[in-house]
Formats: sequence, C-alpha cells, structure tokens
Amino acid sequence: MNEFSQIFETVNFGLIILNTELKVTHWNHWMARQSGIDAKQITGAPLFDFFPEINTPRFLRNLNSVLSFGNFSFFSQKLHRFLFPFKPAGSFKSTIFEYMQQSCTMGPIRDDDNQITGVFLIVQDVTELASYEQKLMEMNIKDGLTGVYNRRFFQTRLNEEFQRHKRYGSKLSLIMFDIDFFKKVNDCHGHQCGDAVLQAVASKIASSIRQTDFLVRYGGEEFCCLLPQTGLADALLLAERFRKIIEAQVTTYQQNDVKVTISLGVSAPTIGDSAESLLKRTDEALYQAKNSGRNRVVSMLTGHIEQTGLDNIT
Amino acid sequence: MDTSTHISEEEKDILQEIMNIAFGKAAADLAEVINIFVVLSVPDIKIIKAVDLPNYIRTEFCEFSNISIVEQNFWGGFKGNALLVFQADAGKELIALLGDSGELTHESEFSDILENETLIEVGNILIGACVGKVAELLQDVVTYSPPRIIFEDHSSVSMPKTLFDPSNSAIILKTVFSFNERNVNGFLFLITSDNSVVWLKKALADFMEKYE
Amino acid sequence: MINVILIVDDSPVSRKMLKSCIPKDQEYVFHEAGDGLAGLELYRKIQPDVTFMDLTMPVMDGATALDEIIKYDKHALVIVLTADVQVKSLAKVTELGAFLVVRKPPSKESIQDALSKAEEKLR
Repeated sequence: MNEFSQIFETVNFGLIILNTELKVTHWNHWMARQSGIDAKQITGAPLFDFFPEINTPRFLRNLNSVLSFGNFSFFSQKLHRFLFPFKPAGSFKSTIFEYMQQSCTMGPIRDDDNQITGVFLIVQDVTELASYEQKLMEMNIKDGLTGVYNRRFFQTRLNEEFQRHKRYGSKLSLIMFDIDFFKKVNDCHGHQCGDAVLQAVASKIASSIRQTDFLVRYGGEEFCCLLPQTGLADALLLAERFRKIIEAQVTTYQQNDVKVTISLGVSAPTIGDSAESLLKRTDEALYQAKNSGRNRVVSMLTGHIEQTGLDNIT
Repeated sequence: MDTSTHISEEEKDILQEIMNIAFGKAAADLAEVINIFVVLSVPDIKIIKAVDLPNYIRTEFCEFSNISIVEQNFWGGFKGNALLVFQADAGKELIALLGDSGELTHESEFSDILENETLIEVGNILIGACVGKVAELLQDVVTYSPPRIIFEDHSSVSMPKTLFDPSNSAIILKTVFSFNERNVNGFLFLITSDNSVVWLKKALADFMEKYE
Repeated sequence: MINVILIVDDSPVSRKMLKSCIPKDQEYVFHEAGDGLAGLELYRKIQPDVTFMDLTMPVMDGATALDEIIKYDKHALVIVLTADVQVKSLAKVTELGAFLVVRKPPSKESIQDALSKAEEKLR
C-alpha cells in the first residue's frame, strides 16, 4: 500500500470516493466498521443502493454543484444531523441521539487534466460535540433545580405566542401560581427540603399539562403556565385541577411529610392587550388569590375579578 | 515576468471579459444542473486599497436596513474572500425556493437554524459557481473554506480589520444577483489581495495568448 | 460568399478574441460597434454578410438589437455569442431570429464552424 492508502485506511473518520455515476470507488476502514459493509461488497456499486435515504434533493443539489463547479459542499450536523444512519460509536452512548451525529464534507476529485472525475466524501463523528451543545442550549432555557423552562425562555415564548394570537386570533391563556407559605417550609424544614418541595410541585404540574403547554419557573417559588390554543374557561378548569392535586400531594423529605397549597391567577388576552399587560393582569389575579385566603384560583379578564375558585367561594 | 502589483487598463478589460463569461456560465449551470434560477449582473471591477475596504463595504451596505452576510475564503492561484450579502429575510424565501421545508419540523429554534443553513448552502453554491468558473477559465484549481454567516440582522457593518495586509490593494468584483422567482436580491463581492495579483496578471496573459 | 463581418460587443477584449478566431486568409472586412444601437445603425449602413452579436450591452442590449435587425432585414445572418447558454435564453434568441448561438469564450473551431454554416446559408 502506498503512503496515502495507508492514511486513507487508518484515519478516524469516514472517507469515500464516488465516481460521476455515484458508484463507490473507495470505502475506507472507518466506513466499513461503522456500516458493517465491507469495501469489497460496496465497491463498484451505486451508493444509493446501500443507502437510499441519502438520495434527497439537497444531497443531489450539493453533489451536482461539486461536479459542475468543483467547489466543496458541507453537510453540517446542525441541519442534517447525519447522512449515514450509524449507531453512536464506541462506548460513548449518547442518550440524546439515537444515531451518530455527523458533519460531512464533499469535494471534487480531478484527473491529471484537472477534469472532475468524481467526488470524495468525508464523514466525521460529532456526536460528543453535538451532545454538549444540546446540553448547553438546554441549560440556557431550563431551570437547573426543577428542570422546567426558565424565565428567560418564558419571555421569548410569551411574546411569540402572543404574536400568534394577535395575527391569527388563536386562543391563549396564562396561569401564574406560587406556593403558599413557602418561606415557612424553608424556615421549619430547611432549604434542602424547600428545594425538594419545589421539585415535587414542578414535577407534578409538569406531568399534568399537555405537550404544547409551557411550564416555567418564574421566580423563587413562583411558576407560570403558558397555554396556547386554550381559552379562559379551560384554563380555569386546569388551574383548579392544579390546585387540587397539589393540595392532595405529600412530599416526604428526611422523614418529614410536607404538604403545601398553591394560589393561582388566571387570565387571557383582551382587546388592546400586550404580552406585558396580560402578564401583569395574571399577576394581579394571583395577588388577589393570595389576598382572599390562598389555596384558590382567581381569574381576571378586565380590571375586575371575574370569578373566584370554583370550590372555594366563601 | 511582470512582478509589479499594478493592474493595467488592458488587464482590467481582460479580467472584465473573463468575469462576464464566468458569471454567464455560472448562471447557466446553476439553472440547468442545480435548478437554481439566478440572474447575475455584469460584474463591476474596482481596485482600492485594502485599508479602505471596511469603509467601502459600509457605504455599499448602508442602504440596507437588515442584512446577512455569508463569507467564504478561497485559495488557488486566484485567492481571496467571497462575501455574499443578502437582505435579512432572504433565508425564509430561499427555503421555499429550494423546497426543503418538509425536512424539519417547524419549531422556532429549528426554523432559525434552517434559515441560516439555507443561506449558507445557497451561498456556498453561488460562490462556488462564480469562483469556480473564473478559476476554470484561468486554468486554476481552487479550494474553499467552509462558508459561515458572519452576521445577521445588523444595520451597521463592521468588517474585521485584519482581513488583509493594509498595504495591499484589493480587487473588488461586485455583482448583483437576484432570484426572480423569489424576491431575493443581493450582492456578491470577490475580494482578492496583492498576493494574488502577480499570479492573476500571468493568468490573464496566458488566457489572451490563445487570442493573439 | 462572406465578405463583410459586423461585430457588436461592448468589450474590446471580446471583439479582439473573436477576430483572432476568424481565419485571416479570407480577406474579410471587419466593422465593429460597442453597443446594440451603434450596431443597428452600422448594420443599416454597411449591410454585412454576417453579424456577431453579444447579448449584454449598454444602451441597447443584444436581444433588442437582434430583433431590430431582423425587422429591418429578415434575411440577416446574426450569430449570437454569449456565455449564458441556458435553454431559456437560447430559445428566446432563436425565436427572435438568431441564425446560430455560439458559446463564449470563442475558439477557432467554434467560430470557423459557425462561419461555414453561414456560408452554406448564403448560397
């Protein structure tokens, strides 16, 4: 084997050469290992015979560009995820990605007259990098303690959903709730118990909402629940359900059984509203709930209290 | 061999004709092979000092309120920077043009990525077409860096000052491109520096040799 | 018999390139114009046997000039020289009356081939 062949076979990434008919003329060891397909099997055969999923308009467009213009094409992991469906390599079994994440580069192969006779394709495993990036992005939008979305993410989301509501007239509701007498929990049982209670409440509520709803930790013991495509009446029912299940929940922390209740404010956009005024009014409603006895739901649509909690009218 | 870095009027004319031919072929191939229909204007050639480059670009772009720029380096005998300037919402329009929108679900984080990546992909192909055809006419082989978006949605351009040795001249080849089927227009700038000029002069002379 | 050749192209380099591809031994008489309008006027004045027309020109572009020349003289032999060889563009100029389309950059082969075809047509 000449020097380049030796390198070709031993590098830690995939290297393929295709001729202008898209038949494989070279398939290095890395590709063989990852695919389970020997060079002998695939050499001379059309690539798409073995990997029909690669035959997409985008792939062909980029391939034709390389063959016509001799430029390079780059298939980034961000957009493509992967070209070849391989399992993540080695013992780094990412739980985020089912398939190996790949970054691929394609370029021209020329003969001695500089005519383009084929393309090379480099396949790099970037699963680890992609995992870190994903984690980083998640840390940016999620709350560390409870795992629900954080306030920064909420702002963006609220604005988007509000815009959608304004443009298409779609329904939207907002629930704000916080844990009653939370300070007492910290004072009596310590901050770690407080954290456990926060996690328990967040977790319970999170499992009670739909895929399309957003649960957000808004402040220390304050949460918001953004409900797209939901009207006020349904939001009220949901809020009451939240109240009941938290009332019934017991959190055990180091032999202490802790029970808490939540107060909830509910609102929906009205004419002339902005995202901020919706948020403010929901906050007002929450404040009213706290002021009128806690462990209840209050909704506000205009400046006045519309309806207090369904079971708690005194 | 003329080792000065001065481009004569005649050399400029030759370069102009080569650019015309190259861009015409690029547009034709883009349409026939890639199914991308773009009109490339006759390129305008300017030679300015590299130190004046940031100002020049700022002036060119000041009329746009929001832009995105795709940048790619190329190097063969012909070497330099390519800048493709799009208006800010070009990504969305180009996604529709390429018909790839079915590939990803429309979550807001993803649609941003899809827009940017589409800009980069179209940019890569456009730059490759134009630079590639020029290289072909000049019997040159060019390699490329991966393209990147150097910024988006900013109204003031600040070019990195270290692009070129300030003592160099920059040859700026400017073309207006437009995708007629979508309302996407922009500029393509190819910026080469003095390092290329000596090679370029010889390449131009070699090209015209056939026509003496 | 081809005697007079008109070359319409705004690039002096391009005109030079074209001329160098045309055989020198035929004693052709050359006339040149730098834009479509000048080309049209020159055509009317000198009545060339063959015209080479570039497409992208200022003042009046090649397609328009081609159209005008054909209107003036429906037997005009106009060879379009262009880098943009998309099927759409070819169809357009052919419809307007172009005799032939030759790709830029010109070569001795492609130009001599075009001229022989033009000779044939003139007989």
